[in-house]
Amino acid sequence: MTTKVTINRLATGVTGLDEVLGGGLPEFSFNLIAGQPGCGKTTLAHQMMFALATPERPAIYFTVLGEPPLKMLRYQQQFEFFDTEAVNRSVRFINLSDDAMAGDLDRVLKRIVDEVAQHGPALVFVDSFRSVALASATGGSPHNKLQQFVQQLGMQMTSWQATTFLIGEYFSETDANPVFTVCDGLIWLRQSVQRNSMVRKLQIMKMRGQPTLPGLHTFRISASGLEVFPPASVAVPDEPAAAPATHAPRLGMGVPGLDDMLGGGLPRGYSLLVAGPSGSGKSILAAAFLSEGARNGETGVIAAFEQHPNRSRSRAVADLIASGRVGLLANRATDLSIDEIVFMLLREIQRIGATRVVIDSLSGFELALAPTFREDFRESLSNLVIALARVGVTVLMTSELEDRYSDLRFSPYGTAFMTDAIIVQRYIEVDSRLLRVMAVVKVRASAHSDQLREFSIDNDGIHVGDMLANQEGLLGGRPTRKQTADGRPPGAKDE
Amino acid sequence: MERQENDGVAAYLARSVRGGADSRQIAELIATSCHAIDSALAPIIGQRGVAALYKRSLHLAGRTHVWLASAQEGVPSSMDIAALTSLLAQRSSAEAATAGGLLLQTFHNLLTTLVGPSLTEQLLRSVWATFLSGSSAQDTTP
Repeated sequence: MTTKVTINRLATGVTGLDEVLGGGLPEFSFNLIAGQPGCGKTTLAHQMMFALATPERPAIYFTVLGEPPLKMLRYQQQFEFFDTEAVNRSVRFINLSDDAMAGDLDRVLKRIVDEVAQHGPALVFVDSFRSVALASATGGSPHNKLQQFVQQLGMQMTSWQATTFLIGEYFSETDANPVFTVCDGLIWLRQSVQRNSMVRKLQIMKMRGQPTLPGLHTFRISASGLEVFPPASVAVPDEPAAAPATHAPRLGMGVPGLDDMLGGGLPRGYSLLVAGPSGSGKSILAAAFLSEGARNGETGVIAAFEQHPNRSRSRAVADLIASGRVGLLANRATDLSIDEIVFMLLREIQRIGATRVVIDSLSGFELALAPTFREDFRESLSNLVIALARVGVTVLMTSELEDRYSDLRFSPYGTAFMTDAIIVQRYIEVDSRLLRVMAVVKVRASAHSDQLREFSIDNDGIHVGDMLANQEGLLGGRPTRKQTADGRPPGAKDE
Repeated sequence: MERQENDGVAAYLARSVRGGADSRQIAELIATSCHAIDSALAPIIGQRGVAALYKRSLHLAGRTHVWLASAQEGVPSSMDIAALTSLLAQRSSAEAATAGGLLLQTFHNLLTTLVGPSLTEQLLRSVWATFLSGSSAQDTTP
């Protein structure tokens, strides 16, 4: 039997935050929520408060100066977590502005301790702490007084078994603020603005005794409050069981002939890149892939990052979405982070039990990312592919590829190496007509066709035809007829 | 104010007037309500916050009863309930009841526009309960 203290971890009620905190919030800890105005400090505090407070172990929210409490109540009510019935029952708001205005920190501390003693709260919030600091500045040697105040408060609150949060504005990270030393936890919220996009990020700069996740984590504030997106690697733990089962039956592509080209279909759990120029039939191939899944009783998810998703979506896919066999992730936002996209994809995959996932297209996906993440697009894409591979789904991604007949490229992002399989589509000119050809370039750890096959598209979808055996130089875009030894085209009959 | 409570407070005041309560007694009833409002709200939104709402309510109710507007001068740091009591006591009991009832209703409506009916109800429930369950001015009249 261990005689060491066991520190309980509280579930914060904020999606993703417990993971980032390393397993929840340590009970009786003394924490600081810092960040610039408008970054979501008060919202985070309220969300945790309403999630954790009970009539037996209530929460006290001390408002000092800063935001007038009336306005805070007005605006915080807009969030779904705000429960008016809880006010004055499990959640108690107490205004200390009169005490703070006097500039007497001892008086403020006494009020806090008195109220805590009276109500026995499990949670205590002081908002905003900066105003306490400013109020103390009216007296002599503010830094010393503030440090004393914080130390006293920290000691008192922990002794009263209250998990405490100081909510502060404008703190500079480089400032040798005594609060940083005293507090057990330091949650820093930021807003990263680039061009017209704003991305919210959160960092756990300190959390005593907790294996927190390092770095900046994106979060979003919606009507339901904050939603934190832990890194994709945490969202999906690496489990060997999720590795592609090479011996499992392969997946049909829904295009006659293509499965043979792939060496018997696409291995389950693989990621396939379909690259080709505009209009070459990538989305149609993706639709066939989903339809084939539905025919076999599988469900799928399509992530459509397009400007006009309805216009470009095929009828077959629209029907699958309407019938609930394919989940749609349509997002025209331009401020997403990769972690958020992974989070949304995984949630949809889980909801529908999907085995097939289509991302149409990578170009749209890149545009959906906030500018601040586009610089790391390859890394982002790699994280996405890894996260999807870990849950064992089979992924088809389309990639717009400018037809360049001088070189053979598969992806404008240099991402071909990340995928397990590649199909490339091209246009060629034959007899003054634009024909399409397609080839399987790669299927990892599998034999596959090396043929360049003509294909056509009609109302029934894609039809894979034969090789254009009598043409050569197809990849140059302007093939020529092969010449036989006597200078005539092959198969030409004698006069 | 909830319709029921609104009617209840207005009816209670009217009943008190009919029962012979004088304007001083009506003024005391209104003053008690104001103190109860202050006790319920000041811990949450601060004395200055309550005083600002009170001043605005006086201003709005003062459109109907002009003399009410002078019950609080300047930027208030707390409700000047004594001034209101004194003003009400100078009126007829019927006028004091009407004006006082309107003031309470205006205050309630103002808070409702700011924090919504649900939270207003939650915060002021005890005030109206006390008001309506308290001993009637009518009863105190011999």
